[in-house]
Amino acid sequence: MIEVKNLIKTYGKKDNAFNAVDDVSFNIPTGTSVAILGKSGSGKSTLMHIMSGLDKPTSGEILIDGQNILKLKQKDIDKFRSKQMSFIFQSFFVQAKESCYDNVSLPLEIAKISVGKRRKMIEAALAAVDMSEKVKAKAKELSGGQKQRLAVARAIVNSPQILFADEPTGNLDSVTGGMVEDLLFDYSKKNNVTLIIVTHDSDLAKRCEMQIHLKDGKLDTSKGKVV
Amino acid sequence: MKITDIIIRAGRSLKQAKARTLLTSLAIGVGAFTIVLSLAVGAGGREYASTIVTSNTNPQELFVQPKMDANNDPKKPQKYTDGPAINYGGYVVKLLSQDDIDKIARIDGVKTVRPMYSTTIKYIVAEGHDKYQASVRVFRDGVRLEYVAGNADGINNDGIIITDNYLEAFGFANAGDAIGKKVQVAVESGLVVSGQVDVKTFDFNIVGVVKSSAFAASPVSGMQISQDNIQAIYDHGTQGTPLFGKYEGALVLANDGQDVKVVKDAINNVGYDAQTAEDLMSFIFQFINVLQAILIGFGILAVLTSVFGIINTQYISVLERTQQIGLMKALGMRRRDVGRLFKLEAAWIGLLGGTIGAGLAVVAGTVANPIVSDALNIGSVRLIIFEPISVGLVIVGLVVISVVSGILPARKAAKLNPIEALRTE
Repeated sequence: MIEVKNLIKTYGKKDNAFNAVDDVSFNIPTGTSVAILGKSGSGKSTLMHIMSGLDKPTSGEILIDGQNILKLKQKDIDKFRSKQMSFIFQSFFVQAKESCYDNVSLPLEIAKISVGKRRKMIEAALAAVDMSEKVKAKAKELSGGQKQRLAVARAIVNSPQILFADEPTGNLDSVTGGMVEDLLFDYSKKNNVTLIIVTHDSDLAKRCEMQIHLKDGKLDTSKGKVV
Repeated sequence: MKITDIIIRAGRSLKQAKARTLLTSLAIGVGAFTIVLSLAVGAGGREYASTIVTSNTNPQELFVQPKMDANNDPKKPQKYTDGPAINYGGYVVKLLSQDDIDKIARIDGVKTVRPMYSTTIKYIVAEGHDKYQASVRVFRDGVRLEYVAGNADGINNDGIIITDNYLEAFGFANAGDAIGKKVQVAVESGLVVSGQVDVKTFDFNIVGVVKSSAFAASPVSGMQISQDNIQAIYDHGTQGTPLFGKYEGALVLANDGQDVKVVKDAINNVGYDAQTAEDLMSFIFQFINVLQAILIGFGILAVLTSVFGIINTQYISVLERTQQIGLMKALGMRRRDVGRLFKLEAAWIGLLGGTIGAGLAVVAGTVANPIVSDALNIGSVRLIIFEPISVGLVIVGLVVISVVSGILPARKAAKLNPIEALRTE
């Protein structure tokens, strides 16, 4: 369960101050797929950054399973992210010159998983995205869809509890995009993982169980209800 | 992140930018090359110097001089102190008398005391040939000589050992031919006998021919005769001068197995100034050390330059890999680990450069060794000696310097805001 309470993020000072996120509150039950929708500049990316502990809000609380992550030390937030969270980005951010294996290995290394345990986890993750035969291939040799599948493998390899996806299909055509969407929703359902997708693609948003619309940093209640 | 994983990742990142890594390493390699080679030349030089000294001196020997006046302000007139002395254009050198020699001989641990003679001979000549300049010195046991012909037997019977570079001048076909032949040494005294400068000639039989050694201090210093003969030449040469019966110094031989330092202190305690062979060596070593320090200085300059190269390379690397750093931080990599990643990359560069430079230095030194020895005509002596420990320490030192150079870029990487780093467009 993720509880967001009265979240405010202010940029600038005094006269120039404006609220990128303006008093936002909602709850996300564990295992739910959620779309955060809004035009560019609506504050949806900022909201995702704050929820994942990458950014600090001006005020408000984020409770994940009852724990306020904003009160944690930087070291503990980092540890929390490496164990519980994962990210998928619009531009993939796979390391072009590294092999698929090494790309997927990165989160495990950060989470201090021993070398012996890694191989099985990496192979399982690559198998889950149907990329087993590409283990040794360099990421730069892959197509866009394969790169995003590789990114999904990297995101799920350490069995996170929360998966953040920032416009995951934004750089893909509809067929490959659909494949990546299927992967994400299937994984979320099977493993009871909370999936938070930031998007302005309404079709993608409709596949989610819950939609959060943002407009100028505020919840836009006219477009749908918030649990 | 575990340190081994960081080391592997750091090495892998460098492999992905091979040309840049190699070029940056080469800069530090130049420094490593210079420093390793300077250390090797210094080690070789010291080894060479100690070979020279041991082949010219006996380690049990001490050089004793009178104690010089303590007050040595050259701007003020010096008080006269009684005792034998000679004044060389205002520079007063005190001398030892026979009394002093006897006094030193009574000190515990002293085996023999021999006055040192600075003999000046007028010329040396073999019957029917031209006269040549030369110098003679005392034949000493315990100093290594390379005989071409003959030996030191019979030296005490008006024998002389000559150097092989005089063979032609004396008209001998070869070294063996010279043995048993006569040469004359002419010495001028300070006396005037019936209006003529008193010149006396001394006859010698050649008993040995030695190689004019590469280790000899001077090319004409080779002629060696017995202590008695040298005494006779000295006494004749100093007749009518203040030097007669006085000596500039004495050579003391300590008893076998006796610590020369103890003897040195004992001699100093009775008012003389004694120096061991090792003391005399020390100024040669000092000279070599200064030379070496200058060479190392150039190496350090090269290293300093390469430090800026590393900083620059690593800054560019941080900029290029902004997104990678952002991703790693988003995935929960700690600031400290991100910093470590870049510091370890710098360490790899230092290790690579240090190894390349040191390796090239060892190769170059090994190749150059015989060439240098040939050019300097010092036979099989090796002037460049690599000590594995110092080579290792240089490499370790360069790795440390590289890590220090990597601190600033690493800090920049560690401070990078992941949100900024991951923002596309």
